[in-house]
Amino acid sequence: MKANVMYAVVAGLVLMTAPADAQEKAAPPDLVRRVCSTCHGVGGISISPMFPHLAGQQAVYLETQLKAFRDRSRADPHAQAFMWGMAAQLTDASITEIAAYYAAQRPAPGKPAGRDETAAGKKIFEEGIPAQQVPPCQSCHGDKAVGNGPFPRLAGQHRPYLERQLAAFISNARANEIMHANAQNLTALQISQIAAFLSSP
Amino acid sequence: MRIKGFAIAMLVPVVSILIALAAAPPFAPRPASATPGFARQTGVSCQACHTVFPELTPFGRKFKLNAYVFTNVKQIQATDEQSQRTLSLSDLPPVSVQLQGSNTTLGRGIPDAGVAGDLSQKNSTQFPQALSLFYTGKIADNLGAFLQLTWNPSSNAVGIDNSDLRFANHFSFDSIGVPDFIYGISLNNNPTSQDVWNSTPAWGYPFIFSNVGVPPVTKALLDGQLAQESVGLSAYLFLFEHLYVEVGGYRSAQTSFTNTTTGGPGPLDSTSPLQRISGTAAPYWRVAWEQDWDNHALSFGTYGLSAQVHPPGIGESGPTNTFTDVALDAQYQYITDAHIVSATATWIHEFRKFNNVGLADRAHDWLDTARLTGSYFFKRKIGGSAQFFSTTGSRDLTLYCSPSTFATAPSPACPGAGTGTPSQLLGSANGKPTTQGATFEIDYLPWLNTKIGLQYTAYSKFNGRSHNYDGFGRNASENNLLYVYIWTAF
Repeated sequence: MKANVMYAVVAGLVLMTAPADAQEKAAPPDLVRRVCSTCHGVGGISISPMFPHLAGQQAVYLETQLKAFRDRSRADPHAQAFMWGMAAQLTDASITEIAAYYAAQRPAPGKPAGRDETAAGKKIFEEGIPAQQVPPCQSCHGDKAVGNGPFPRLAGQHRPYLERQLAAFISNARANEIMHANAQNLTALQISQIAAFLSSP
Repeated sequence: MRIKGFAIAMLVPVVSILIALAAAPPFAPRPASATPGFARQTGVSCQACHTVFPELTPFGRKFKLNAYVFTNVKQIQATDEQSQRTLSLSDLPPVSVQLQGSNTTLGRGIPDAGVAGDLSQKNSTQFPQALSLFYTGKIADNLGAFLQLTWNPSSNAVGIDNSDLRFANHFSFDSIGVPDFIYGISLNNNPTSQDVWNSTPAWGYPFIFSNVGVPPVTKALLDGQLAQESVGLSAYLFLFEHLYVEVGGYRSAQTSFTNTTTGGPGPLDSTSPLQRISGTAAPYWRVAWEQDWDNHALSFGTYGLSAQVHPPGIGESGPTNTFTDVALDAQYQYITDAHIVSATATWIHEFRKFNNVGLADRAHDWLDTARLTGSYFFKRKIGGSAQFFSTTGSRDLTLYCSPSTFATAPSPACPGAGTGTPSQLLGSANGKPTTQGATFEIDYLPWLNTKIGLQYTAYSKFNGRSHNYDGFGRNASENNLLYVYIWTAF
């Protein structure tokens, strides 16, 4: 009896392996299914705010970042800990494929944040803070924050992720001259407000 | 390794039995699921797979479910005419080393085995406590392994530790609404070692513990009794990113056993010093649900095993005893860069049916094992854990080596019956297995792969009582342990 159960299970699994190839065409790229999805989700919506949503992200931006992980020029702590390894053996073709797939997915809807902080963040996003030499974010990221080519989509992104990136630009842990100049005079409260606005629906 | 310890104990007098039992499970060093071999293969830092080693993150669980095959190093490859890959080997093997050293202070020394009335050393220092060599990672495209060899101080020999060879792949039934899922097969030598949550025994807390303490008189079959002494084949599915289902079976492994007729490592017969699983295999099952949201991961499930076993000395056509373990478990994790909170709970109920006369007072016994653990770490640098544990069960004077059973002959369950000695320290005077207490631990990790810990285990009851539990005047608190260790893997 016990033996029969085991044989049945094994036989079932063996049978299931047969039509695998037929299914894969309709599925996401193999790397996305087996690797990227573990943190970023099959559809590019990540569960943990430690990892960014990739759904609807600009393909050019995704390609640039994957190449920056691969050549280790993007070196913020999480890039080192997670993405240097992940991207190490990616080919240009697979980078293009992954980027195109995630760019085509429906973006994350965002999560509600406090009304006041969202309003304050919206003001910075749209108008900048001239007294602190902070330009309006929308001038590069678009008035809906959906990004444009090398400028990433920010709308609907995890709030802690956005906050961590701005902090990394300021500290130069994530080297980016433009974003360092734009963000270096922001206070922690202002960073929180910008992230609240961008991460909310 | 452990079997050899038992084998020696069967051949020499009671003194050796005492030593062997003291070195036997559950106080043998437990291996780590954290290996730098994985980091070497993936190029990803420890923190991707582990909160603080060896506890797994959701990513670590996926990595294991996918058969450890994810790799980021150059591959040596071969393909056939149909473009099917026939070889994919890592350029550099995912090999690593683990080293543990420790000092244990017992509440009170145990009786000296050679000089009546004297006590052993109260402190015990081991360097290494264990030294392991791992191959952990990809073997082929969908095949990976976690293989461990460990040097054991009680035998001064290298032996097989946890081994897990597994195949995994992905599939989907989009037409009926079943998205991409993982299916796999694991061949391993320790029930629950293939599990991906830290709420089951093989990878549960305490992750490291003293191997010189006094072992409680009994434990459940699934609670490490079959570790490295069995071989199991199981098949699993991970569906909808939530549901894990696994079924399989375990047989006794022919490890460290020499059949006196063939002179080879088998077949097993009544001269085996360990109980043997009879029939084809003992069925094993596991069902769990994982729910992750934001920085939280929650899981709960059930696992179990039902084994018919022949005790040593009983032939294949002789009566079997039946041990059925039914267990529940749960785990919660909160994971951020700064703060990590974990909690695990497990409860194992064991039904024991004895068909062999003389092993136990009763035909039906039961044993309940419960553990509740919580831990907190700050920036993966410093943290602490607390565990409350409890074993309770039915009263059985013979099974638990009460001094009142001295008149009976030695038996596998109570090898010292009739001699007097093992019941001292190891037995239960009132025939109850109740062992309860708590373990507290403080850890410091100067690096992600190195842990320095201070652990204190306090027993409120041991083998049935707080005071004079063995009938020879020993109190439960005299088995308390202060354990200091360093544990590194590289």
